[in-house]
Amino acid sequence: MSVDIILVIVVATALAFDFTNGFHDTANVVATSISTRAIGPRRAIAIASALNFVGAFVSLKVADTVGKGFVDTHAVTSTVVYAGLIGAITWNLMTWYVGLPSSSSHALIGGLVGSVIAAKGWSAASGSGILDKLVIPAVVAPLVAFGAAWLAVSVVYRIVRSVRPGGVSRGFKLGQVVSGGLLALSHGTNDAQKTMGLITLALVASGKLSAARFHVPTWVVIAAATAISLGTFTGGWRIIKTMGTKIISMDPAQGFVAQTAGAAVILAASSGGYPLSTTHVISGGITGAGAGKRLSAVRWGVAGEIVTAWVLTLPCAAAVAAVVYAILRLFGPGDAGPIVLTVVLVIGLIAVFLRARGARGHGPVPTAVDPSLGTTQG
Amino acid sequence: MTAFATGTVGDLLHVVWSSILASVVVSVLFAGAVVGLIRAGELRRSNRGGSATAYAAASVVALALCLAAVVYGVILVSQKS
Repeated sequence: MSVDIILVIVVATALAFDFTNGFHDTANVVATSISTRAIGPRRAIAIASALNFVGAFVSLKVADTVGKGFVDTHAVTSTVVYAGLIGAITWNLMTWYVGLPSSSSHALIGGLVGSVIAAKGWSAASGSGILDKLVIPAVVAPLVAFGAAWLAVSVVYRIVRSVRPGGVSRGFKLGQVVSGGLLALSHGTNDAQKTMGLITLALVASGKLSAARFHVPTWVVIAAATAISLGTFTGGWRIIKTMGTKIISMDPAQGFVAQTAGAAVILAASSGGYPLSTTHVISGGITGAGAGKRLSAVRWGVAGEIVTAWVLTLPCAAAVAAVVYAILRLFGPGDAGPIVLTVVLVIGLIAVFLRARGARGHGPVPTAVDPSLGTTQG
Repeated sequence: MTAFATGTVGDLLHVVWSSILASVVVSVLFAGAVVGLIRAGELRRSNRGGSATAYAAASVVALALCLAAVVYGVILVSQKS
């Protein structure tokens, strides 16, 4: 029974993490379509939300990788998964507070690895799995998106240069409705899977599922798909209000190519079971499309943020999760630790929320964000 | 390192070339469809109906191939899960 309480807390926390992932990433998925005026914000967000949901059902290979590719499933307990999740969330909040770039996806996996190492030692983590399935793809994928977008936009400009620019713009705006939808679908095939893998791992750890036949239950797929979809929908409404000044400047052909390249990389990676930072891939596509037109138009600061996130996120989230696990151990092996920590966290979050509301009532409201450059990235 | 050198390099290279190929093919086909439609409109306005029809047909074929490539890609991903 005590394990079940921790399991309920783990599932709820994982779904909350999934919701915030969708919330953060809405901007990345829809910003290009909205900035080129290919589609209105409300419609773009509704389509992205629906296709995020559908995408979560398309492939489960990333969930399999997260569930059994990075840690020894026999070494994992519900408390280990919980500590990993809290470590990831804490790292995301810390980086958000101090303005450091981060990656939600890498934080999640780093947190899991850090807590399992704290619990069972280094042998419980799969070094080759982390290198092969996470670190190398994390570096390669944005570069591939950059190269694919750069190459595609260079060829596209050669094809369309002899016809009226107005007609080309109208054509690619229509195309962006499809490419934007494809990007949202691909986002669901990768980001929603990470939560599914983690929840399934917690189910295995608590004895609800067999480790020998690791599979993601249907209710987990539906719950994770719903959480990320609702997050996308909710995040979008905030972005409608704040989007305006610092948006990416690109033409519809570039937007179409950036979205197509991003979606192609994410879909191909999902089919190979590679959990990526989707934000880094989309940023790579946007930067490549910009470089294909004019090198000086590229905002190279984005690349710097991605590199910083690569270097910091995984080890730091792992360290924070290890500390969280050590704190939980102080309460003993039962469910007291997770319950106390959850209560403390909920109280803390309510306090931060109330303080933010109070500050908003007395001071100026920040009115513009750059949706492509959220410090916490999916 | 050995484990990475065998299966994973092949898997990762597959992701690399398939995503670059898909990006370029879909973008080029769509650009072809757009150019075909614009040309067809221009030729129709200058009363060259035959050429306009040919461009329009080529545009429709390019668009159909583009959509087919997208659908094929999504089906491939879903079948690999």
